[in-house]
Amino acid sequence: MTDLLNDCREAVLKGDRSFAEDLARRVLGENADPLKTIEEGFVPGLREAGRLWDEGELFLPELVLAAEAMKAATVILQPALEKRGEARKVRGRVVIGTIEGDIHDIGKTLVATMLSANGYETRDLGADVPVQKFVDEAESFDADFICISALLTTTMGGQKKVIEALKERSLREMYRVLVGGAPCSEKWAAQIGADGYAGDAVSTVQLAESFST
Amino acid sequence: MTGFLDRLTVGPVLFDGAMGSMLLTAGLELGAAPEVWNVERPEVIKKIHHDYLAAGAEVLTTNTFGGTPLKLAAHGLAERCEELNFAGVRLAMAARAEFPDRGAFIAGDIGPCGKFFSPVGDLDQKSAAASVQTQVEIFAAAGVDFFLIETMVDLREAEIAVRTARQSSDIPVVVTMTFDKKWRGYFTIMGDKPSAAVRRLSDAGADVVGANCTLAAPDMIELARILVADSPLPILIQPNAGQPEMFDGQAVYRVTPEEFAVDIKKILDTGVAAVGGCCGTTPEHIRAVAEHMHHGNVAGKTQVS
Repeated sequence: MTDLLNDCREAVLKGDRSFAEDLARRVLGENADPLKTIEEGFVPGLREAGRLWDEGELFLPELVLAAEAMKAATVILQPALEKRGEARKVRGRVVIGTIEGDIHDIGKTLVATMLSANGYETRDLGADVPVQKFVDEAESFDADFICISALLTTTMGGQKKVIEALKERSLREMYRVLVGGAPCSEKWAAQIGADGYAGDAVSTVQLAESFST
Repeated sequence: MTGFLDRLTVGPVLFDGAMGSMLLTAGLELGAAPEVWNVERPEVIKKIHHDYLAAGAEVLTTNTFGGTPLKLAAHGLAERCEELNFAGVRLAMAARAEFPDRGAFIAGDIGPCGKFFSPVGDLDQKSAAASVQTQVEIFAAAGVDFFLIETMVDLREAEIAVRTARQSSDIPVVVTMTFDKKWRGYFTIMGDKPSAAVRRLSDAGADVVGANCTLAAPDMIELARILVADSPLPILIQPNAGQPEMFDGQAVYRVTPEEFAVDIKKILDTGVAAVGGCCGTTPEHIRAVAEHMHHGNVAGKTQVS
């Protein structure tokens, strides 16, 4: 099992999707523990990839490949998990999107991918998302977190509007609101009354976890 | 009039500064496509070009950074590609006509298409090339002096843009990429190194290569040194006026014109062929640089003995 877990970790870290899928199928064939494989094999691989990205060792394409390898393996293991009546521990439920007027998608999508790979149920609303839609979707998804991305100094005001819309409907305390994107900062988050700021996908996961524990 | 490449051999060339951040200051709103102002607020665009020329810039960069069909499509404006790009070139030319003795150059500005190649996105090479081709043909017909492909983060997209421009016309091709500093050195977000960028972009047919945006001046000086050492081609460097800081929801760039001119002097000392400004720079920043250059405060061929 240890060798298998190491291979799983390596497959994700190297962004080798077909190897990750082979390993997942081997787990099924050998009737090994799918949950353990995910939590102690694939997830640590992605965390390591995230750490190396943080340090400037890996770049965007490698991180995306790692996340995709992890996702592909999870898809294969999912039916076995359900059959055993097991499920990955859901660390939280997240509604995420880029604010209205802003068509930048890439950073937000990466954050969504990393969150879901790390055990968060995510609903990605895409880019150019109206303020009201964040609120409505958060309610219907029963979210714990609302993550709002803004890549432009001209659109970041929309993050504040989401928080105001939540307050208007007395829903502010229901959610942790996290903001991110190039022009944002801790200071900006504090200024608009958000719960936190994260500068990239890896730190968003860390930030979300800091609230969960 | 001397061609742009001939002019480069005489001594350092001063480009203009930012367009985008100037437009935001002028009231461009909420993620709107700046290119629309080429038609809706032409007087604002022309005034900015005018002010850069008055400040001493030798190059006017058209307000067409987001003017590729792919990028315009994200705003639902793809069918206005020709109209908006033509208008952008015309405005720069109209401003130049007000300074007939200066012999300023018009750079047809080409930014990233906003889509990404696999694995980050699903952009394919053909679409990337076709998108650039459309804009390049409009620029060639409108009569730009050179193409400025800038702020590229993926060397593959930059290569395709350069090759497409090179194959479409004889107009010179200038290309800049934007790098981050990591502890191992300088890289684009896709992991491309300056040395690889220089090599592959010169192979693709670029006449000038360089870097713009993102980095603060001290890092940009170091990067300029690396590029000059690595490159057989002339180098263009266009830094921001520092890192943006948020103030009341507005981006503020704190590097003053005088500080910027001092940084640019250090960049010129590395042996680059051309300098200019990126985000947050204003005609005042360019004026301060022009004064340094013309008073012989910079190294190189413009120095007064």
